[in-house]
Amino acid sequence: MSFTLINKTKKEELEIPHENYTIKELAEDLELPSQSHVYKKNNQIVIDETVIEDGDAIKIIQILYGG
Amino acid sequence: MKCSKCGNPNVIIKKEQSGQYLCKDCFIESIEKKAIKTVRKEKMLDKGDKVLVALSGGKDSVTVLEVLDSFRKLNIIDLCAVTIDEGIAGYRQEGVDIAIRHAERLGIEHRIVSFKDEFGITLDEIMNSNPSKGSCTYCGVFRRAILNKAARDMGATKIATGQNLDDEVQGILMNYLEGNIDNLTKLGPKTTSKSEKFTVKIKPLREIPEHEIGLYVVAKELEVHFAGCPYAQQSFRGEVSQLINNLSENHPTIKYSTLRGYDKIREVVKEEFKKEYTVSRCERCGEPSANKLCRACVFLEEFGR
Repeated sequence: MSFTLINKTKKEELEIPHENYTIKELAEDLELPSQSHVYKKNNQIVIDETVIEDGDAIKIIQILYGG
Repeated sequence: MKCSKCGNPNVIIKKEQSGQYLCKDCFIESIEKKAIKTVRKEKMLDKGDKVLVALSGGKDSVTVLEVLDSFRKLNIIDLCAVTIDEGIAGYRQEGVDIAIRHAERLGIEHRIVSFKDEFGITLDEIMNSNPSKGSCTYCGVFRRAILNKAARDMGATKIATGQNLDDEVQGILMNYLEGNIDNLTKLGPKTTSKSEKFTVKIKPLREIPEHEIGLYVVAKELEVHFAGCPYAQQSFRGEVSQLINNLSENHPTIKYSTLRGYDKIREVVKEEFKKEYTVSRCERCGEPSANKLCRACVFLEEFGR
């Protein structure tokens, strides 16, 4: 069970670590600050509670840059 | 979960402060309604105004342009835009290009003004000269000077900037923490001056959180320049922003309550700490100034320009 992570120009295939793995858990694993990114699942914007499923393409868009 | 307004199952935000879920269309509508409500509540616009948008090409200024364009389409106001090129290598050009495309898309008058052309020095050159102050101080003073001058040249009656809720709250806390009550009194939805040479400034996005503006431009597929100013991390504003965002994790309404609290005391503080001074002209450049030299010229003399 895996998904594709697209972050800027980087594209990688990652294992889904456990069942009901959410966008929120992914953000925590990647140590991304809360609310500074928008997540798209299969090209649709989704919320933190969304579960990542086998074959999904998850795109990360940074919207806040601090300062 | 479903959209709390229309029942659409494709939700794009859960509003932490209200628990409300919204789909893309309802979210876009909510942001535009909120900004329009702020404009009306604070009486930011008068019929026939020509509004100059300070258009960097970033998410905030593009959103301001989008919101104000709805007033232009109703023939309430006219719009124009100015993009400031501070001279930050590897950062600014993309925003300038995006700003050009938005101005062309809407068919509005647009000017690009650079620090180099206007003052003979770029922000990079300033920061490489071991200056006495932080980057944001110089940048803010020079940007304001350019916007005021451009507004007069283009016949604009208002200047609209993209300050969002986060920016306003940072400003309130920064000035309070530094004991700068004079600057604290200058914040607010609409800033005016005694001198007619200073154009009224308005902030239509001041009640919208920064991350919602980011989500708005992504949802509406607006082209924006997503990047951080390379000098931002050096600033006190960056530290204050971090502090407020940390507090917001467990207190999601804290930015709104800080702004509401400030708005309640704003007029009293303004009245209590109002300064009597005469606005004359800067001896060097002729721009309005309470002192012999305006702040921009004081800085330019520091750099031998």
